[in-house]
Amino acid sequence: MTALTSHLKLLEAESIHIFREAAAQCRAPVLLYSIGKDSTVLLHLARKAFWPAKLPFPLLHVDTTWKFPEMITFRDKTACDFGLDLIVHTNHEGLARNINPFDHPPSVYTDVMKTVALRQALDAGGFDAAFGGARRDEEASRAKERVFSFRAAGHRWEPRRQRPEMWQLLNGRLGKGETVRVFPLSNWTEGDVWRYIMLEKLDVVPLYFAAERPVVSRNGQLIVVADERMRFEPSERPVPRKVRFRTLGCWPLTAAIESDASDIGAVVEETLGAKYSERAGRLIDHDQAGAMEMKKREGYF
Amino acid sequence: MHLAALKEEIPVEPRAVRAPQKGALVRLLTCGSVDDGKSTLIGRLLWDAAGVTEDQRAAVALASHSRAINGEKIDFSLLLDGLQAEREQGITIDIAWRYFETERRRFIIIDSPGHEQYTRNMATGASHADIAILLVDARHGAKRQTRRHAAICDLVGIKKVVLAINKMDAVGWSETRYREIERDFLAMVGSFNFAQVMTIPVAALTGDNVVYCSASLPWYAGPTLLDYIDAVDPVAEPVDAPFRFPVQLVLRASRDFRGYAGTVASGRIKLGDRIVDARSGLGATLRRISTMDGDLPSAGKGDAVTLVLESDLDISRGAVLSEVSRRPVNADVIEARLVWLSETPFDPEAGYLLRTATDLTPITSISVSALVDFETLASTPAHACRMNDIADCRILLGRATALDLVRDLPATGNFVLVNAIDGATVAGGVITWAQAGAPAVGDNVLVLNRALLARGLCADLGDSPADDAEFNRRAQEVALLLRSAGVPVLVEL
Repeated sequence: MTALTSHLKLLEAESIHIFREAAAQCRAPVLLYSIGKDSTVLLHLARKAFWPAKLPFPLLHVDTTWKFPEMITFRDKTACDFGLDLIVHTNHEGLARNINPFDHPPSVYTDVMKTVALRQALDAGGFDAAFGGARRDEEASRAKERVFSFRAAGHRWEPRRQRPEMWQLLNGRLGKGETVRVFPLSNWTEGDVWRYIMLEKLDVVPLYFAAERPVVSRNGQLIVVADERMRFEPSERPVPRKVRFRTLGCWPLTAAIESDASDIGAVVEETLGAKYSERAGRLIDHDQAGAMEMKKREGYF
Repeated sequence: MHLAALKEEIPVEPRAVRAPQKGALVRLLTCGSVDDGKSTLIGRLLWDAAGVTEDQRAAVALASHSRAINGEKIDFSLLLDGLQAEREQGITIDIAWRYFETERRRFIIIDSPGHEQYTRNMATGASHADIAILLVDARHGAKRQTRRHAAICDLVGIKKVVLAINKMDAVGWSETRYREIERDFLAMVGSFNFAQVMTIPVAALTGDNVVYCSASLPWYAGPTLLDYIDAVDPVAEPVDAPFRFPVQLVLRASRDFRGYAGTVASGRIKLGDRIVDARSGLGATLRRISTMDGDLPSAGKGDAVTLVLESDLDISRGAVLSEVSRRPVNADVIEARLVWLSETPFDPEAGYLLRTATDLTPITSISVSALVDFETLASTPAHACRMNDIADCRILLGRATALDLVRDLPATGNFVLVNAIDGATVAGGVITWAQAGAPAVGDNVLVLNRALLARGLCADLGDSPADDAEFNRRAQEVALLLRSAGVPVLVEL
């Protein structure tokens, strides 16, 4: 038996309940796997929910081709270790048009390579339910979202018309053209995720732990140079600095933090004492006020 | 989700368990009429009790400046009103979930909208809360919407309510005014099932008596809002509550693994206990409580597990497994109190489904008998209901389903109504009365027990698991044949 605290046990049971409710009511669910710490916990909880049976749905990774190499290695190892059915989708039209995070504003890049790509993959698979690892403590519009978050045709989120969700009763019945995003980690905080990873001894991408990495500082944000596609300003030179990541995404758009937390215990310690929210390191969320909500309305996560 | 029974475990690494060791998790609702200052109060609570990070503080300070509603002051409501429409209109549309910790415990704060048109969102929030903070403006006292919110808190099962009398600065910190509002409110909610009503004077904008004591309220000797919520405990579940396990799905892993996955809704179960499926009346012995972390000797309320029985009951999603002695009602007629959530009014011809714990049952007929009057909070006869009404109604089901009366067992005494056509959740309610569809234990019921069957029909069977399964199969077949001939039968093996 694991030695979870009562609080984490409560969260774990609640998440398992959500997984089972969605799987029982929906025809074709899929788990959106983005390789990060939240996806790691999400996958672990999904395995618990259906154990000893195999996962009754595939995993979907939307690959923008700009993920850190360590992330792709970790993804493939995870799929292999647990015998998972992994679908990897890239928006090849976007790739052909060379949409990338250096030449295009984050809003355009994200829309084409993430939002549109996700919609393509969901439509291609005919999926009516998609599990995501979003947490309500991440961001103000996510704090408003239901566990079963319904999407109108075209994957649009209509925040003013969310379905009531009372008690433990999760109504998964879909109207015509509707799909549902399911968020089993809704009530988890960043601290809960790390404590759970530690107590359940889960493997995560090594980028979460501090190490010397080649870093460029731009507008106060630390960008780790992950491969040869980096575009340097004339005055810029990568400098080795001891950094780690609180969230993982596309490397040119994800800022690292200076840290000495090189093991899981130190990461937990650091997270609990953090003065800044984790999304402070997500460059795409700062385009404009309500940026996340706009992306969600268009079908992002 | 339900607040499960909290149990203490052994910490493995001291560093990791520092925060969660703090004790209870409390789910706190803030409600009340529009403009009485809910989001400001919670924003102030988070701001002063350090639930806000530096970048969030900076963003709110910046946005406050551009809105300039309070001049140079911080607009605390911006911490919670996360939707663009909310920020533009300066109102709360949907509930916001916030998480924060004090030295003693962890909180989930559910901030709900005050506008009548968003009552459905408030009802969603209320159904997840243990304790409600109901705000009133000291100048106006309880409004119609305040009373509606109080009635919804009662309906969804909240037992402890804090009446926070806000904007005390606007009434000159008057104790007389405070006492007047308190007296009126207590008289009004006398018919509700609240176990405790606490009244606290506050001024959310200035922070008086929210986190810190106020020098402006010398006549008030009680706790600040934070002191109170830091100390209050949710009403404890009775320790001997009956066992209920709504089956979510059947898990099959190999030829020899067939388990019922679900979350214990109430009570406890241990290996070797007899359990019964209320719908069919069939019973079996619990063989395993299975999880990915290994088998458990017992499971209690809130545990998400998979039950494996000695003999298979051939049941599926929607069944409720219970203990043998205290069973749910296998009802096909119910009476309920519900809050109507859909913009489309109640229509007896529309076609609704009853969604209980995990079952979805067709409704043959549904009629409204009364509405709650939000001026007096009394029931008045009625035959129609529309959005935001609280109504009493009678429902005939297309087939029987296992459920409990809310006063006996809140965990399995609630439901939502689903529109059969578009899947929308149109109402949420609690079961106040139920009539058993299949025969309950009584004089005219034939009870097929082990001794009766072992004497003849199953005389050739021994004690092996295979024989036990065959015993059960024969019992089910006999029950089926007798029921189809109109004989009420209960199987008690």
